[in-house]
Parts: sequence; structure tokens; C-alpha cells
Amino acid sequence: MRKLIIAISALFSLSLSAAEAGLTFPNDDMPKLTGDKLIIAQQNGAQIYMNNCMGCHALSFQRYKRTATDLKIPEDVMLDNLIFTGGKIGDLMTNNMNKKAAANWFGAAPPDLSLIARSRGNHWLYNYLRGFYQDESRPYGVNNGVFKDVGMPHVLELMQGIQAKTEQVKGLENDIEYAKADIANARKQIEDGNDVEAARKVLSAAEKLVHEKEAELVKLSKEGKYFEIVQEGNLNPEEFDHAMTDLVYFLDYVGEPIKQERKRLGVWVLLFILGFGVLAYFLKKEYWKDIH
Amino acid sequence: MTKMAALMQWVDDRFPATKVWNEHLAEYYAPKNFNFWYFFGSLALLVLVNQILTGIWLTMNYNPSGEGAYASVEFIMRDVEWGWLLRYMHSTGASAFFVVVYLHMFRGLIYGSFRKPRELVWLFGMIIFVLLMAEAFMGYLLPWGNMSYWGAQVIINLFSAIPVYGADITEWIRGDFIISGATLNRFFALHVVALPMALLLMVFLHIVALHKVGSNNPDGIEIKKNKDENGIPLDGIPFHPYYTVKDIVGVAGFLFLFCLVIFFAPEMGGFFLEPPNFTPADPLKTPAHIAPVWYFTPFYSILRAVPDQQLGVVAMAASLIVLFFMPWLDRAKVKSVRYKHWSFKLWVALFVVAFVILGYLGMKGPTPMRTLVAQICTVYYFAFFLLMPWWSTWGETKPVPERVTH
Repeated sequence: MRKLIIAISALFSLSLSAAEAGLTFPNDDMPKLTGDKLIIAQQNGAQIYMNNCMGCHALSFQRYKRTATDLKIPEDVMLDNLIFTGGKIGDLMTNNMNKKAAANWFGAAPPDLSLIARSRGNHWLYNYLRGFYQDESRPYGVNNGVFKDVGMPHVLELMQGIQAKTEQVKGLENDIEYAKADIANARKQIEDGNDVEAARKVLSAAEKLVHEKEAELVKLSKEGKYFEIVQEGNLNPEEFDHAMTDLVYFLDYVGEPIKQERKRLGVWVLLFILGFGVLAYFLKKEYWKDIH
Repeated sequence: MTKMAALMQWVDDRFPATKVWNEHLAEYYAPKNFNFWYFFGSLALLVLVNQILTGIWLTMNYNPSGEGAYASVEFIMRDVEWGWLLRYMHSTGASAFFVVVYLHMFRGLIYGSFRKPRELVWLFGMIIFVLLMAEAFMGYLLPWGNMSYWGAQVIINLFSAIPVYGADITEWIRGDFIISGATLNRFFALHVVALPMALLLMVFLHIVALHKVGSNNPDGIEIKKNKDENGIPLDGIPFHPYYTVKDIVGVAGFLFLFCLVIFFAPEMGGFFLEPPNFTPADPLKTPAHIAPVWYFTPFYSILRAVPDQQLGVVAMAASLIVLFFMPWLDRAKVKSVRYKHWSFKLWVALFVVAFVILGYLGMKGPTPMRTLVAQICTVYYFAFFLLMPWWSTWGETKPVPERVTH
């Protein structure tokens, strides 16, 4: 019966679960911001973006002027402080990155990020930006806990500093790796029909171990003990998280500039339809009085 | 004679304006006992008009080329005045169309609206449904997102299952060796010109056929059997104004939900606009998990449930074709669920469950367990229709009233 319940719940697991997508770290929820706080965050995010990201990642469907208007940044402030290309206020937010050369440098040309918040989602971006860690095996000395083996270097190193996996995490990951090797061996043994009974035991023990160790990793990550700062940046971890929240909300804005306005408008549209519906209902009632 | 009446007379002498108005609205007698399920016909018409109008305005700024399509959609979203609203009305409208049409078809199923003499109404409706699927599929490629691209790739490749000529046929459909700007251009032509014309023609025939035989109703009895001395059905009321004012209430209810999506959740959690479609089409980058849009997934599940690809395509085609035969599959003595044996309710309820599960599984990647469930549901799907001549005769029916009930 328990197996049946597990099977059924696996069948109907709503979103793509973590198990299906693999565990990623960090995996924290981004703070929710609304109203003025949101605009302020987006303004700060714009500043971070233009100073750190724009050189490689264009926003080529978006215009400076629209950004300035929507985020309530005066045009002269925008021109003087946030447009580095000598572009006009009505221009699209493009850069001069040579795609061919960039592909050579990073393995893949840095993508345009106009719609990244809509294709990846805010949660993913927030954790990706906070997921760079030291890994000497990679060409730029960093890997990413959300996007494994990504070609991008740790551009925000000056802000965040450098973080590394803690010894505890490395130990757990080692255990998981060994257990996974055991699982593979046991599976092969079962396939070959070689001492199946013993192999089954090994398999179930190893699977249980992986499950437990992964749960521990998740717990550590929640407690903020997955990574530790090994070289300090200009911001402390809390400040950096704030900055990344701002940056993601800016990208969220660029992904759909009309987002806040459509919600504001939507309330009035629904109210109108409601009123219209009430009138229509009474009109119907009036006409249908004589139908029995 | 007033000037207005004189003008109308002048027109009527040359064109049957008043005659058409009367025959199809003011003196078209519909049963007075329509319930909730009878809103969806007129709502389907509303959505059709919405799609055509917003579609026309979208084409004014859309660029049907491999190089420009994706950017032009973003141009519409950002730089065209109210372009975002037009686009969301159109994309939400596509899903709303299927919601409304599925409910409309379900109505037909439970009240036996396809039974004699309404077989042609049903057949024309089924042709509309198939055309609508083609229209939606081709429209889905136009934003040139990565899921558009790979979804089209999967569906077009289904035709390669045709023996001998499969490869040539897929190449003929694409107009290229891979899906490219050439494919996009022809899909654009079909989506905005050919299929809408065919759809409008079929909708016209659907309504003409309906008005010839008259509407069915929740009791599944013929109101034309009981007429007064003037030949007007005793249980009939003029469509206009009674059902026009009633349908407006339905329109308000529909628009409320429709606008709720447009203004507050245009992506509908990735069901109406899918995340991978916010990256441009890339022939070198396959999305991790390719699934059709939700309204195709029940049929896609049937395709995948069959282990053999060719037979899978046959099964999927059969799952649509079998619907055409509904008028001749149902052998029950009465039309409406109200007077049928309880076993009918059970068969239909299970059918709804199977259809929804198939739809759900079509969105997910396959696992052995899911495939098994999809196979069970597929078998039930076909059993429902193919065994209908047998099970629809089960048990006693309840006595059908002479006149409609409220």
C-alpha cells in the first residue's frame, strides 16, 4: 500500500521536482518586494546591471528611455550615469560584444538577457547569481552550484568575494559519490544475475545513504553552511543577497516591462466586467420575467 | 412609413436582411430550458472573433521570417502601443478557445446533441475542431521560441511514420530539410489566411445546419413536436432577445476569467506561455523536455502510449477519427443523460477522468509507471467509443417527458 501511494504521488508530482532536476545549491527563496520598495530595488538593480553585466550581456529588446520612465529614473541621470555606449536615450540597450570572439573566450557567447527572467524564472536567477564557488578545475577558477560547469566567470567577485564549499559539504559529497558508485555496481551485478540477493541489499542501503546525505546537504544549505567565504568582498553576505535581489528584480522588469502596469490596470478591468455582469444579469432577469 | 422603415424596405427588396434576421435570431425558436452548458457555443464564437481581431492587429507588426519573428514579438510586447494586450489576448484566447470547445463538445456528449437529426451539426463541428487544432499548431510556431521550434519538429516528424513517402512528405511540409524560415513563412500564410477562412466557412455551415434542425436541450426532446396554432414550438422562445441577453451574462462571466488570466497570469504558470519559448528558436539546442501545449497533450499521450511509433501515430489519428462517428455509436433509446441508465454516467465520468489523466501525463516526461497508466487510459478511451453501441443499450431508461422541464 505504501509503495502504491508513493508511486501515485510520484506520478502526479506537480512541478518538475528537485529530484527530477537534480539538487542545486543554493536554493533559497528571494524576498518578495512590492510598491516603492520594488522600484527602488529595480533602480539599484539597473545600476548593478549596467556596471557589471552590460559589457557582455545586452538587453537588446529593451530601450533606455522605457527603462528610465518605468523605473522613475530621470533621463539626464540615466544618460550621465547608466549609458556607457554614448547611445541616445531612445536607443535599444545593446553592446559591442563580438559574439565570435566571446564564444572563443567563454565556450559560448554570453546570451542576451532581455527575457532571461521569463525563461529561467526569478528563483533560478537569484540562486544562480549567488551560486559561484571556488573550483580550480575550471578555466576561470569557479564553478556554479545551480548551473554546473557554466562558462561564465565570477563577475561579481569584487562584491561577493570568493566562497567555497565547507569541509562538511565536501565530506558529504564524497560519501554520496561513493554510494552512487556502489549503486551502479550493484545494479550491474543484479543485471548480470551475479549474487543478486547481496547486491539488492547493497543497493537499498546505498540508496538510503544517498537520500540521507542529500537531505543533510539541503539542511546545511538552508542554514547557510553550504558555502563559506574564503576571500572577502566589498559586501557582506547579507548585503550581497540584497544586491542580487535587486538585480533579479531589474531583470524581472526587463523581461516584461508592462508587468506592474498590467496588474494595476487589471483590477479596474475586472471591476468594470463585474459591474457589467451585474447589469447584464438584471437585464436578463427583466426579459425572462414572462418565460415560465 | 417612417424613413427608417422605408430604407429597410428598400434593402429588403434587394437583399433578404429582415428575413435572415428573423430566421436566425428574432424568430429562431430555441428551447427555453437551456442551462449552464449552453453558454459555450456562443462563447466559442466570441473567442473566434477575439482571435481574428487581435490576430489582424498582431500581423500589422509581426515579421514572419526566421531572422525577425522573435524580435518582432518582443517589439509588439514593448514598443507597440497596447501590443502586450493584443498579444496576451491572442495567446490566452488560443487556450480559452480549447477550454470552451472542449466544454461545448462535452455538452453534446451528455445531452446527445449529435443524435438524429443533428448528425451534420456534429460532423461540421468535428471538422471545426480538427481545423482548430491545425490553426493552433501553426500559430504556435510563429513566435519562433525554442519550444515552438522543437514542438513543431516533433509534430511534423510524426508524418515520417507514413510508410515509403514519410521522409518526402515531412520535407514537403517543412519546405526545407529542417524547420526554417521557409516553414515559418508557410505556417504564417496558413495560420492567417487559409485556415481562418476554412474555419469561418465551417462555423457558418455548423450554424446553418443547427438552425435547420433546431437546438437540442438538456431534456434531449424535440420541441418541434409540440407547436401552437401559428406553428411556433410551445417550449421555444425567440433566440433574440431571450438568449442574446442571457448569453451576455455568460460573456461577462467568461470575460472575468479571461481577463483574470490576461492581466494577472498571462503565462498561466507555464501552461499558456511556456518558459522555453522566451529563448529564441535554436536548431542546436533541444529543450530538456519537449511537450506540446496543454490542449494537445491528451492526444500526445495516446501517441506515446503505443510502443511502436507508426502504430502510435495511427492510434492518435484514430482517437480523433473515432469522434466523428459519435452519432452512430450511441444506441441509447433516449438522448439526454437525465433519462439514461446510471451506467452512462459512470462511463462518461471515467472517460473524463481518463482524458484528464492523459492530458496530464502528456505534459510530463515518460516513466515506466506513467506509460502504463497512459496505456490503461488509452485503452479506456477507445473502449468508451468502440464499445458504445453495446454499453449504451444497457439497463432501463427513465421515461422522457412530453414537454421540457425547468
